[in-house]
Amino acid sequence: MSEAGSSFVYVTYIRTTPERLWQALIEPEFTRQFWVDTVQDCDWKVGSSWKLMIPDGRIGDSGEVLEIEPHRRLVLSWQNQFMTEMHAEGASRMTYLLEPQGEMVKLTVTHQINRPVSKLIEAVSTGWPLILSSLKSLLETGASLEATRRWPEGK
Amino acid sequence: MSDKPKFVYVIYIASTPEKVFAALTDPDQTEQYWFGFRVGANGKVGSPRTVRNSSGVDFPNGVILESDPPRRLSYTWPPHTDQTKHERPSRATFDIDMIKGQVRLTIVHDDFDVGSRVFEGISQGWPAVLSSLKSFLETGRVSDPGWCEDSDKQPAVQDDRVRA
Repeated sequence: MSEAGSSFVYVTYIRTTPERLWQALIEPEFTRQFWVDTVQDCDWKVGSSWKLMIPDGRIGDSGEVLEIEPHRRLVLSWQNQFMTEMHAEGASRMTYLLEPQGEMVKLTVTHQINRPVSKLIEAVSTGWPLILSSLKSLLETGASLEATRRWPEGK
Repeated sequence: MSDKPKFVYVIYIASTPEKVFAALTDPDQTEQYWFGFRVGANGKVGSPRTVRNSSGVDFPNGVILESDPPRRLSYTWPPHTDQTKHERPSRATFDIDMIKGQVRLTIVHDDFDVGSRVFEGISQGWPAVLSSLKSFLETGRVSDPGWCEDSDKQPAVQDDRVRA
């Protein structure tokens, strides 16, 4: 972590293939199940706009695709769009890294911002462990965790 | 805010607090998902936390600092390799609660000195061990221990790419 920034890193190992994990991270039929009913609006090319859509039609977060290497690595710029304080922090940077290890894939999610203290990083530090735990359950058991199947009421 | 190293990891598991507590403390269960380690931590406060690796070698005993089944467990973690034996014991604490129908397991591993090598090792090891624990409880299958290639079979996989 650099002196000026803050970041959150989460590592999980999932019994799946890089192809299936990539599909689950991208495609709406999967994200709806483990990512609180959200879908991503993006055509997954470098420079493309990226939006995380809340079920009621609001944009949750948005940014663009900075780097993409299918089944291996994705880097997005990421700005919150529905909470004033977090929106004011500007863009963060989120990276997925997928590395096969035997029968498993090691998934590393790194979320960083160039601010020493960040409400956004605080929020994603709580959110990512639940979302990624649910993603692992979905790929290994066929069922996501119940708490992640719907957008939280009142948010 | 202290500069001393502190590792925090949260994982959600479709299980019950009782099953998670048992899986963390019963050597017959840890052997199945924790790189073959037999970790015994189901005694009372003050009793030893034992570890025997898959080659049958016993590591130095830790001490159980807190035990409140199935909610909370804390024990000391003595170093066990030649490279780390000069370090003092650190501390691992587990909190288990129910959030919206699934178990939230939070581990805090702290009480390290600045520059601790053990800290580097456990920061790599816990995500692998706890991912395997989740698979064990949810599917009955565990992760292939082949991805723990450390010669001491300690829960540490060296990989600089995930440093924060």
